[in-house]
Amino acid sequence: MAKRVTLAVAGSRKTQSIVEHCSTMPMDRRVVVLTYTQKNQQELEERLARFAGDHLNVEVLGWFTFLLRHFAKPFLPFKFAGARVLGFNFDGRPYQMAKGKARFLDMGGAAYRSELGRLAFELIGDSRGSLMRRLEGIYDEILIDEVQDLSAYDWDIVDALLTSKLNIWMVGDIRQSVLATNARSTKNKQYAYADAINWFRIRERRGLVAIEESSVTWRCHSRIAAFSDLIFDSSWAFPRTTSKNETSTGHDGVFLVRAENVDAYVAAFKPQSLRHSAASATTLQLNFMNFRVAKGATFQRVLIAPTSNIAEFVRRGTRMEPLAASSFYVAVTRAEQSVAIVLDEPGASTLPYWTPPAR
Amino acid sequence: MHYVECKGGNVIKKIRVRGYRIHRDLTIVPNDKLNIIVGANESGKSTLIEAIVLALTGRINGRSAAEELNPHWFNALGVADFIAEKAKGQLPRLPEIDIEIFLADVPELQELCGAHNSSVPTEATPGVRLRCVPNKEYWSELQAWAAKPTHLLPVEYYCVEWTSFADQKLNMRPRALTTAVIDARTVRSSGGIDFHLRQILGSQLEPHERASISLQYREAKAALSDSAFKTVNDRISQMHASLHAQPIVLAMDQTARTSWEESVSPHVAGVPFTMAGQGQQSAIKIVLAMNRHAGRSKYVTIEEPENHLSHTSLATLLQRMSSLASDDQQLFITTHSSSVLNRLGVEALQFLGPTASVKLNELSHETVDYFKKLPGFDTLRLVLADRIVLVEGPSDEIIFERVFKDLYGKRPIECGIDVVSMRGLSLARGLELCHRLGKRVAAVRDNDGVEPAELRKPLSQWLALGQREVFIGDVVHGETLEPQLIHHCGEAHLRTMLDITANADVLTWMTREKTEAALRIATSAHALTPPAYMLHAAKFING
Repeated sequence: MAKRVTLAVAGSRKTQSIVEHCSTMPMDRRVVVLTYTQKNQQELEERLARFAGDHLNVEVLGWFTFLLRHFAKPFLPFKFAGARVLGFNFDGRPYQMAKGKARFLDMGGAAYRSELGRLAFELIGDSRGSLMRRLEGIYDEILIDEVQDLSAYDWDIVDALLTSKLNIWMVGDIRQSVLATNARSTKNKQYAYADAINWFRIRERRGLVAIEESSVTWRCHSRIAAFSDLIFDSSWAFPRTTSKNETSTGHDGVFLVRAENVDAYVAAFKPQSLRHSAASATTLQLNFMNFRVAKGATFQRVLIAPTSNIAEFVRRGTRMEPLAASSFYVAVTRAEQSVAIVLDEPGASTLPYWTPPAR
Repeated sequence: MHYVECKGGNVIKKIRVRGYRIHRDLTIVPNDKLNIIVGANESGKSTLIEAIVLALTGRINGRSAAEELNPHWFNALGVADFIAEKAKGQLPRLPEIDIEIFLADVPELQELCGAHNSSVPTEATPGVRLRCVPNKEYWSELQAWAAKPTHLLPVEYYCVEWTSFADQKLNMRPRALTTAVIDARTVRSSGGIDFHLRQILGSQLEPHERASISLQYREAKAALSDSAFKTVNDRISQMHASLHAQPIVLAMDQTARTSWEESVSPHVAGVPFTMAGQGQQSAIKIVLAMNRHAGRSKYVTIEEPENHLSHTSLATLLQRMSSLASDDQQLFITTHSSSVLNRLGVEALQFLGPTASVKLNELSHETVDYFKKLPGFDTLRLVLADRIVLVEGPSDEIIFERVFKDLYGKRPIECGIDVVSMRGLSLARGLELCHRLGKRVAAVRDNDGVEPAELRKPLSQWLALGQREVFIGDVVHGETLEPQLIHHCGEAHLRTMLDITANADVLTWMTREKTEAALRIATSAHALTPPAYMLHAAKFING
């Protein structure tokens, strides 16, 4: 059975390729498309309804729903006889020392989100093959969108899927792994965030999965693409991004803007302002959107209020740690035509400054 | 991986019924194809079928289980125990109903697979489950009732949970579990076709056929509104009867409840189905449900197919059922008829005994075939009797009855002993059947001039000391019943009992008039000295 992962750059039409894949396969093929964010789930459902509405055997599930419906709920008695999963506890956490049932389920029988991955993974083994056999009976193919968002035990679950009879196709952009399904877990820390690339490369060497790299962006202008390639240094061995955006607007590429000129810039280009979080960019009074929230979105132009990490990277090329790099990468690659970074001291940066035209 | 239909794959492997009506805790392991459920009256045959249908479809008589739930569904003993334990100050669990259907672990049923079943140790398998459990929202009301419980459970505070073994709520019968329900016992009103027949009829049609019928029916109705109603409508539309003076016209009702299914009925030789005889009706239902077509049911339950049918009609129906039976359908049939059992094959028997259920699928093929060829043999008597005496023919039966009554002052049947005449059938086959059923049996036979020890040899595999024994007269006392009687009673005494003339030879007369002789002895006022082997048999079986 085919197992592959497509590692793509931002704007490479990942979601669209999933939709197209679904619309061209045989009608009776039973497929589940898994995704992490609600936004992406809605996006997928909408597009599938439009382009593959006749494929009634294609189902879209959130990752947690998938784990609840096909792992935790049916097989919980293998861990706790007679117990049932009665709900989903999104925010709660078990006590640090909680053992047994209390580790995974709250008083009302709802499964803790933070422990669901571990519960699901352990049930694969506890069920002595029944769980995987069940999945193989229900689906022919599992597609995982935004695979970079999985974390901790999720990777072990993917590992189990890789040895099943199911067809697996994962799509994601490792550089965008800002959200992690269980940010606090210490499990599989070595694969966290952008390190996920290594996880796939190890499995490719073992012959478990084929990696395809898709480095063409349809969104970002070539200068933005080239800049985004610099965010991760060469030790990551990411392929160079190629741009197919050939639109020219007269203000294309990556620019620096001094704080005093921000208002004029906003008036001239109406960019979407982006910041890391409410704590950053406190001096600027703009209609900001946080990096996290912007994930998956596309804007013609963006204006970024940099964190000190980002500022140092722009000034001196200082290497960023993976999490910071990822979130900056997301911010930069939202833009089609231009990225403006608010920065008063350019340091060694060669990026051009935008200044308002002289009166 | 491509979806491959697994023929005959999704069979029921196990049924467990707890707390439902007569069944406190019943486990049945059905055969993959055919199951003939027999048992005494009130042994719960129909209840078992009902439970199967409930768990497979979530419905009973076409209505949802939740609507139909009533206190009498709960096992009376279970409720009584609850009340008793409560009275003793213990804290028992409220009575519950739990019906589990374990299905074969095949790919097409994996959606229903999970570990939410009663298996110990934990086992994941496809299955469905229907439970009637206390509704936690009414906890205080339930506690109030439990403080002073009565025999009628407050079902208003219960809820029906219909789930798969994956703990997924079921709202509709899963597609793989189509079930046809045929009940030949009830007399239907002439008002129309019942829910179950409508389902069976519906399953005969391919989706596109249904759609086309539905469409044409609507169009025909619309056409009627435009033509026949035209003049009427022209007239009444002039009236301003409605509240806001909008025109009123008559049109055929096009809402869902007047769909074509409501006005369609099968006809038999031009006669509407509901006007056909009861026997004919159930025969049609059975054949429709078993006929080969795409959407046909995976499970068919038939209650007492023999009802309303003459002996010959039943034979015809059974013939047709046997030829329609196939690997991808699982049948559950209840019956009181040995013909049904013998014709369809005794190996399919599921006996609901007083303690546990017994199945007969280990019988040898030869024995099964043997009984198939002899549908007249009353196999069910062997199945249902407590203790059995197998005799060779009617005269042995009559004499044994007398011997027994002389001994105990009661007829054997009054002591739960059924005397069954093999009427020339093989004693070995009868004993094999009794052996599989685990019955206590006394077999009585003539020695026909052969040493009893020799005669026992071929039967020995079915015998067990104290449980199943064969009683045979000594060769020196005569080869058959008649000389044995003469030997034990004396010729003169027997002549008196038989009331025959002095010049008739007793042995010749008795041998010629076997049954008559036995009857005369049985009704004679004179004392009878029984042949030793009969006496032993009577003592053994009543002992």
